[in-house]
Amino acid sequence: MQDEEVWIKRYNASPLRNPVAIVGSPGLRSIGKLAVDSLISQLQATLIAGFYSTHLPSVYDTSPSYAADPTLPGQAGAIVESGRADLPKVQFYSFAEPPVVLVQGYHPNFEGQYVVAQKVVDFLGDLGVERMIVVAGFGSKEKKIVCAANSQKALEEMKTRFEVGIGYKGPFMGFSGLVFGMAKLRGIEAVCLFAGTEPIEENLEFPDPEASSRIVELLNRILGLKK
Amino acid sequence: MNSEIKVIKKVKPRELVLICGLPGAAYIGKLSVDYLIQQMKAELVAEVYSRFFPPYVIIKEDGLVELMRNELQHVTDETGKSLVFLSGNAQAFSPEGQYEITEKVLDWAVENEVKRVYSVAALVTDRPFEAPEVYATATSTSLLEETKSRGAKVLDHGIIGGENGLILGLARKKELEGICLLAETHGYQTPTGEYVVDPRASKAALNVLTQLLGIKVDMEPMDKQVAQMDEAIAKMAEIERRVREEMTQSGKRPSYVT
Repeated sequence: MQDEEVWIKRYNASPLRNPVAIVGSPGLRSIGKLAVDSLISQLQATLIAGFYSTHLPSVYDTSPSYAADPTLPGQAGAIVESGRADLPKVQFYSFAEPPVVLVQGYHPNFEGQYVVAQKVVDFLGDLGVERMIVVAGFGSKEKKIVCAANSQKALEEMKTRFEVGIGYKGPFMGFSGLVFGMAKLRGIEAVCLFAGTEPIEENLEFPDPEASSRIVELLNRILGLKK
Repeated sequence: MNSEIKVIKKVKPRELVLICGLPGAAYIGKLSVDYLIQQMKAELVAEVYSRFFPPYVIIKEDGLVELMRNELQHVTDETGKSLVFLSGNAQAFSPEGQYEITEKVLDWAVENEVKRVYSVAALVTDRPFEAPEVYATATSTSLLEETKSRGAKVLDHGIIGGENGLILGLARKKELEGICLLAETHGYQTPTGEYVVDPRASKAALNVLTQLLGIKVDMEPMDKQVAQMDEAIAKMAEIERRVREEMTQSGKRPSYVT
């Protein structure tokens, strides 16, 4: 029987000096996931760890996957990619210069939301992360990027250095929302970038690569990867 | 983490009284307790986090993110007694979580030698009324007599769902004194199922609660909230009247008439 609710598989990795964490998951129009995947590919980042959990379903009973419901826990199972089967997982990648940890999020079911987010935030804290940038989408007809943060200082920095202001208010559900919210408890300064995207009611997670590329462009500026 | 109390500031309460008002029907408990926190300038001393809170965060108007949590806020009244208010933006979603969080808060209160526990909740009724009555239930007959002398009626029987009720049940289990005040409300809800706040009911509850606590607070801001809500309800009633009138004139029948 699986004793732990969350367990980790570590790969060989060199220690990083206070890396910035970039966190995304398949949320609205999959913008967060696309942005993180794109950056992993751009940087040819190295896989350093995977988190597995009894709370990560392979099949969701909810649609979208981030709309967790206590009565709909989903089904456990395997996920097959390129012919290889593995369990659903959250993955961590690293890049040395500038030091970055990229988090490919995965939505737990209702019961596991806080448990998984807590483990992720603790792991990032143990890696020396002091700053986190979460990426996601918000429903808007305007192709703009707005931000939220866990400190006034971080909001001001986004405004003055990158001309990104606030503009979304309301709930933020799923993996990325809780990781964003829990960062402060671990002393991590966190900003969330929301790209405006038009929700498609029939499939809220239908990818929006254009909105994602806007986020990636901004992340490149923030991280100093491209001027 | 299952649930934890994160102490923000250590206090040494004296003759501690705990007052609970968490979000529930018509937000009566939360509105009442938040009002006292504001008026008495209570200070945040602890935050309660739990995996049993609804799993999302709120991005507020000012762009700052907020986790679902309960808060303990402390103030010393004019006589030197400590009042600690339990409020927050959510209740735990399951009975298991509600028990765990309430137990933790009460354990904290017991450690700080709590003398009495109050909670404020709603009594949803379809009884037409001019002014809401306030009902009370307590852990002993003598406490009930005390609430009656302050204008509350005794709740003969009923159910108080959620932590505003549970805290009283658990107070009794821990042999603590406890009183729950329930203000009448019609418990209106929006089409999305959100409760409409009822400041009139909160005001009625506060009238009894402040007497029991022996404190005086300025009720003018609450009176303004009552007036604003009356105005909003009057506008809604006027819109409904106009729609009905237009339908009558055009010969249309509302879709709900079968």
